[in-house]
Amino acid sequence: LVAAFSNLVFIKPRATYGLPNRFSIGKPGDYPSGSRLTLEARRICVVRDGDKMAAISTTCTHLGCIVAVSETGFACPCHGSHYDQDGNVTGGPAPKNLPWFQVRLAPNGELEVDKDVEIEPGTYYDV
Amino acid sequence: MSDQTPARPANFLTELPTNIWQSIFRNPVPQSDRDRSATSFTNFFLHVQPVKVHRHSLRLTYTWGLGLMAFFLFLILAVTGVLLMFYYVPSTTQAYDRMLDLRGTVAFGVFLRNMHRWAAHGMVAVVFLHLCRVFLTGAYKKPREFNWIVGVVLFLLTMFLSFTGYLLPWDQLAFWAITVGTSIASYAPVFGKDIKFLLLGDSSVGQEALLRFYVLHVAVLPLLMSLLLAVHFWRVRKDGGLSRPPEEDEVFPAAEVSVVTATAAPQEAAAVALAVPATFKQALAPKLYGIQGIVRGPFTKIGNVPDRSVFSWPNLLIAELLVFLVTVAGVLIVSLYFNAPLEEPVNIMHPPNPAKAPWYFLGLQEMVSYSAFWGGVGIPTLEVLALLLVPYLDRKPDGIGKWFARERLLANSLFLTFVVINIVLMVVGTFFRGPNWEFVSPW
Repeated sequence: LVAAFSNLVFIKPRATYGLPNRFSIGKPGDYPSGSRLTLEARRICVVRDGDKMAAISTTCTHLGCIVAVSETGFACPCHGSHYDQDGNVTGGPAPKNLPWFQVRLAPNGELEVDKDVEIEPGTYYDV
Repeated sequence: MSDQTPARPANFLTELPTNIWQSIFRNPVPQSDRDRSATSFTNFFLHVQPVKVHRHSLRLTYTWGLGLMAFFLFLILAVTGVLLMFYYVPSTTQAYDRMLDLRGTVAFGVFLRNMHRWAAHGMVAVVFLHLCRVFLTGAYKKPREFNWIVGVVLFLLTMFLSFTGYLLPWDQLAFWAITVGTSIASYAPVFGKDIKFLLLGDSSVGQEALLRFYVLHVAVLPLLMSLLLAVHFWRVRKDGGLSRPPEEDEVFPAAEVSVVTATAAPQEAAAVALAVPATFKQALAPKLYGIQGIVRGPFTKIGNVPDRSVFSWPNLLIAELLVFLVTVAGVLIVSLYFNAPLEEPVNIMHPPNPAKAPWYFLGLQEMVSYSAFWGGVGIPTLEVLALLLVPYLDRKPDGIGKWFARERLLANSLFLTFVVINIVLMVVGTFFRGPNWEFVSPW
């Protein structure tokens, strides 16, 4: 039993080699007002409305496919889930709304997104 | 055996090819029953099998050779798999190129990959058909309950082996099928997220996941599978051979038999003697019943018992050879005519639309499109639990060893309903789902 448990401990990695969850997305000036830009590699959609900015996840809450931006918001190609502009589920099998991630201005003047910190949907960051 | 005197060097040389041959194969080609049994139990590869096998077990229309076929497909997969390992690198930057190399530079590369892919599809199908055969003939009943459980676990291992192999080409199909598959696992209660993290070694499918799936696919799962296969085969013999209806075990007199040995249960032999007609009784009357060994349980009888068994050499071997040839021929023909698909290299930005799993998982994917938890975890778990519990719930000893026995109408109907529902879901998932998993007509 101890051996089985220690094997589980062994195969659980202590460090991962993938993309980090906290990253810079450039200066606020890169995002014009009213834009909705998807950063595909980071799997987020950066929304700017006037001085308000937010980062919405583009990973489908159903089974992890990448949702595409559609006319009404987001649509998942895998099992047909639909979301509105704010990431609220409007149809399909998705069980949860798309999460919003924390956006902050780093000391070097660039925006920083932290995917480990989910914030209340509809909360914008003022730049 | 040679009766030459080993004295002169001339003889020493003339003996040469024969004595090597004889040192390997202790028995000449068998001429008598004694030789036939000796051939079976002095050969390492043949002694897995019983010396004698019941006629009923050899009936093609009873087993359709499905269990053997599954085993032979596993052997083909092991051999082609090891060969493919010589050229494969489990790296996100190299795996796909290696797939292209199989097409371009490796001798028989495409053919070996085809064989591996189609044998894998075939094995999933054949293992499932074998499971259906065992259910529909009531073969899981006492004393074979535990072997049924081993069989169900082997079926799950087959699916998991296929699933882990699916990622290795590192094409679009592979990447998104595993993304979806491991997300389904994360819906499992309590440990879901941990299972996903342990499987992938990261928060999403990447290099760590590829390496982990590779290790599972080429080492861990095949070893487990081999171990359970050995248990499965061992239990087939220890549970008294393949299932058969009780009337198949009734004694009928054979002219050459002079001594009847009842090894298993003397009272059973006596009961059988009462059941046979008077003339047979007369024929059996002067014979001597001796107990050669007291063994409990449904063991195969040894000695010249007047039952309906025949020697494994050559009867069983010929049947096995036939199934082997059919299996190999089938895989070769399919591999010559159809190439295993290889899609675009992985693009983690753009999932294909629709992103579909292999056909045997499309029933699951169809259910998942309604509810991730119930379709992907809840219902499959209940189905597996039901399968595992079947022999302990359905305990009536009626209808063993017969296809679609009347006594088993309810059990068989329930089982077939379950099979048909799963097949319908698979067909819907395969042919009736288009982009965004919306309903499309295949016509």
